[in-house]
Amino acid sequence: MSTAVETEQLHLEDVAVGDELPDLEVVVDETQMFFFSAATYNGHRIHYDKEWARDREGYDDVLVQGPLQSALLARAVTDWIGGAGRLVSFSAQNRAVAFPGQPLTFGGRVTAVRVEDGRGLVDLEIAGRRGDDVLMPGSATVSLPLRRPAGGAGGAA
Amino acid sequence: MTQQTQDLVPEAAAAQVGALVATATGDVLRREWQRWAVAVGDRNPLWFDVEHARAQGYDDVVAPPLYLQYAVLGVTPLDTLRADGSSGAVSGDLAFPDAPRRMAGGESTTFHRYCGHGDVVTMERRVESIVQKQGRSGPFVLVTWRTTYTDQRDELVAEATTSMIARP
Repeated sequence: MSTAVETEQLHLEDVAVGDELPDLEVVVDETQMFFFSAATYNGHRIHYDKEWARDREGYDDVLVQGPLQSALLARAVTDWIGGAGRLVSFSAQNRAVAFPGQPLTFGGRVTAVRVEDGRGLVDLEIAGRRGDDVLMPGSATVSLPLRRPAGGAGGAA
Repeated sequence: MTQQTQDLVPEAAAAQVGALVATATGDVLRREWQRWAVAVGDRNPLWFDVEHARAQGYDDVVAPPLYLQYAVLGVTPLDTLRADGSSGAVSGDLAFPDAPRRMAGGESTTFHRYCGHGDVVTMERRVESIVQKQGRSGPFVLVTWRTTYTDQRDELVAEATTSMIARP
């Protein structure tokens, strides 16, 4: 199997403020929504009962689960940081709903790079979008390995 | 007719601010987080491939960090679900009869370590605040919970703030 994360490990020294994460593009369909509801033990009708979503809650269709959008946003981050990186914190707000069949994009931008207690840390501004609409803004902090052992000569950041 | 701001927060719900509203303990299980990960389309080998995980310094594959909140979910008898099919099990079953349309608001989590197969995680959730707000499309209720996750050694593995929006 080959995935993006099997490419060369990202290190702190490779990252600069303003760098963009590769966009993750996804069209969620009802099969994926069904499996996500099953995997999260979520019985909320708004994700599978079209009549309920339309007639009782006033939406045009069933809604993509907010936690699925969060998970896709986190996936864009954990794909980027590779196996030696670690997600330290993750924050996301549900700003607008998404419907199945819509192209969604998940990505982010580096806002800070620092070394703290010998650990490389990167702050990110992240978002799930549909075209130009921001559906899910958020932020994250990740740790990345240092090429040069911490405490060595020169500041990495 | 003039629309007065109606009070969407019943006394019984308001009284729960500060209260411990949910505790749950669950096993972190490889198959379950792998089911979650494939539902997300997340094929990161850290969650699936033990050799890859060991090469990164882990003892074994690890659970995706955002999976943690699902490891503690219990079971809900179907006849106790709300009319909309949702369960109150992890929210303290706060009832807002005048604001029945619920949506996840947001989440903010700090992860102190990644969990692995066989970890036993305990969640404790407290209501941090319940506030009625005025949005562009009318009034809504914003509920915020503060949640801690500790492991079988009583060590903190994650801390989260989550919110929900309830609309009339």
